[in-house]
Amino acid sequence: MTNAIEIKGVTKTFGSKLAVNSLDLIIPQGSLYGFIGPNGAGKTTTIRMIMSIIFPDSGYLSVLGKASAIESKDRIGYLPEERGLYRKMKVGPFLEYIAKLKGQDSAGLQQKVKFWLDKVGLADVYRKKCEELSKGMQQKVQFISAVIHEPDLIILDEPFSGLDPINRRLLRSLIDEQHKLGRTLIFSTHAMFEAEQLCTHLFMIHQGNKVLDLPLADVWKKYDPKILHVEPLGSVDEAAAKLAGIEGVVNVVTTTTGIDLRLHPHANAAAAVSAVAARIPARMIEIRRPSVEDIFVELVGGDAAALKAELDGLSSEESTDSLPRRSPAGVES
Amino acid sequence: MNKIFSIAWREFAATVFTKGFIMGIVMTPVMLAIVAGAITLMKKQKGPQIVGSVAIIDRSNLLESRIISNFSDDAVKKELDADSERAKAIVKEATKGTNIDPNALPIGSMPTPPIEEAPLLSLEFLPADTKDDDAKKPLETAEVRRREAGRADVSRIALVVIEPSTVMGDEKGNYPNFKTFYADRLDFQVTGKIERRIARAIVDTRLANDQRIASTGLSSEQLRKIMGQPSADSKTVTVGGEKSSKGELKMLVPMGFMMLLMMSVLTSSQYLLTSTVEEKSNRVMEVLLSAVSPAQLMTGKILGYMGVGLLVLFLYGSLGIAGLIAFALFDLIEPMQLVYLVIFFGIAYFLIASLMAAIGAAVNEMKEAQAMMAPVMVIVMIPWLTWFLIQRAPNSTLATTLSFIPGANPFVMMIRLCGSEPVPTWQIPVSIAVGIASVIAAGWAAGKVFRVGALMYGKPPNFKTLWRWIKMA
Repeated sequence: MTNAIEIKGVTKTFGSKLAVNSLDLIIPQGSLYGFIGPNGAGKTTTIRMIMSIIFPDSGYLSVLGKASAIESKDRIGYLPEERGLYRKMKVGPFLEYIAKLKGQDSAGLQQKVKFWLDKVGLADVYRKKCEELSKGMQQKVQFISAVIHEPDLIILDEPFSGLDPINRRLLRSLIDEQHKLGRTLIFSTHAMFEAEQLCTHLFMIHQGNKVLDLPLADVWKKYDPKILHVEPLGSVDEAAAKLAGIEGVVNVVTTTTGIDLRLHPHANAAAAVSAVAARIPARMIEIRRPSVEDIFVELVGGDAAALKAELDGLSSEESTDSLPRRSPAGVES
Repeated sequence: MNKIFSIAWREFAATVFTKGFIMGIVMTPVMLAIVAGAITLMKKQKGPQIVGSVAIIDRSNLLESRIISNFSDDAVKKELDADSERAKAIVKEATKGTNIDPNALPIGSMPTPPIEEAPLLSLEFLPADTKDDDAKKPLETAEVRRREAGRADVSRIALVVIEPSTVMGDEKGNYPNFKTFYADRLDFQVTGKIERRIARAIVDTRLANDQRIASTGLSSEQLRKIMGQPSADSKTVTVGGEKSSKGELKMLVPMGFMMLLMMSVLTSSQYLLTSTVEEKSNRVMEVLLSAVSPAQLMTGKILGYMGVGLLVLFLYGSLGIAGLIAFALFDLIEPMQLVYLVIFFGIAYFLIASLMAAIGAAVNEMKEAQAMMAPVMVIVMIPWLTWFLIQRAPNSTLATTLSFIPGANPFVMMIRLCGSEPVPTWQIPVSIAVGIASVIAAGWAAGKVFRVGALMYGKPPNFKTLWRWIKMA
């Protein structure tokens, strides 16, 4: 399998600000890459350099086997971070125009546009002006403009921001569909659970530096479970007191739903599960997989507190539709 | 290439097929034509003539018979003839130096209007001892009206008071004015006619009563001819032989061509600027640039708006030509001037449009664009401010210098090429070459600024920053 994107030692500064620092990144064909990092981490700069919209100060970059995305623009679909449509233009003609600029033949283009509009639930907007659409609708139109020419590489910068739960789910299924068609996808987000649910690979960037770049499966392997989530049948406080003494438990936190037991890094999780079950009757005992968010916070270390606050703010506003976290290790009793 | 044409066509269509453009650019000349037509029609359908009586207090007791004769039908007919002759003379003067036959023009071939078009004025001679105030009284309530069938009453609409000294001179040998009083809302054409007829009667009476003139045996008619100021029949002498000097009408051509050029260039490049700023502030720019290169986008946009400019040029140009043909004035322009118009449109448009594209890409909103446009507009406005000087002396140092200054030269050359003096032959290709060189330089620099500026947000660049962008590879 060849690589869709190869980046070696790429650095970009804006004035005195180091936006991306000596970045290495290889994105294999057919992968679904999640770019993760807080605002200003360098995600958009990296994406814009991949798109040849801006150029690195130094380093090597190749896209779809070419030295620059300019040479294969028609094979790339791009949803920029800043959404832009011609306000006065009608939706149908706008999409046809963009597709034509992407090298599509005008024959059959109208059917294709209508097919896609129908697919995202906007069948009736073909003749509406872009300015008449709601923000979420505009975003879906823009997503179509990124994929209508059936590109081999699709780059989506913050595709989920500003969407309601139903449309997030729709977009997730659309991204998944493109992935199953064998296309290479990259999307950036600062809402990490989206990445957890979709990606095959995770790429984390913080203050211009790469902090993580692994297939998702390896991420889970590398970051062992360390938290036991327990939902007691009886009183939470009583249960918490009983659980405090279990071997390997370093910290007990009661939450609204139950009790989180933080284990020592070298503790035996399986032994701890049986110990809990022996001490209290429980509705659920789960070895919680650390969220991408937790990993990220752990990785960026020193800035953790500030970052955590930011991420909490983000997830409380954006995670309303978050699917239940995958918990294959959960033990129900 | 296809992409560039897609962009050009979208920009053209997005500008031209809008209510604003159709109302502003297309409908304006149509509306003008309709209004002009309506005015002509309304002028033809004059209402019936004004009816009224003119009261006269002639304290010299010498004027009555001459005044009556000047208000007679015969005199009125002569007056109308003279008016029409005068109009024809003006047309003849204005078309001097063209191949136009003044008699072929609507105004030149207009027949003398019938006597019904002159006001129907009756005379009332009041006794010399009537007090002015008493005679004036009826004017306060006078009804200025037009002729109506079955209405015989006539209001007094004017009062003329002539003192003896006005006719005979006072003791110092001066001739004071006579006085007139009018009813409210009396047309100036009516008052003018009354005053002219009275004045004529007074002068004739003065001449008849002056012993010195009477002794020469000259009639007042002959004296008028003697006193008439001659005008010159001028010819311009050139190597190619004599030709008649140019009239005023010919003077309007250079101005017309410059206006046409300026309007089409500025309208289209303004649209280009607005759309570029909009694309940037709308963030469509990034979507477009993920599909095409900045150079393709800029080229497409410039070509698209060139279509808009050519459309404006064609619409207004053909309107002007249609007007000239309608008034049989087409000979005023030479076909070669139309060729130059297209050449200089190209130069002026590509130069200004490149600069506008660069400005549009460099700024974030229209307000910032205005500030950067100022230097461009100053250069373009020079010909606008100096067109009269250039036209009067098309080969002056000012005109020649401006013909080689990029930005001003297309407009200045257009004025000079349509002017009365031939432009030295070598200056035309040199000016065009300067123009083309400026277009290439501006296009190159604009391309650089566009590439860097299109995705640069934040503080608008100053000229130093722009220069750095231009120098960037």
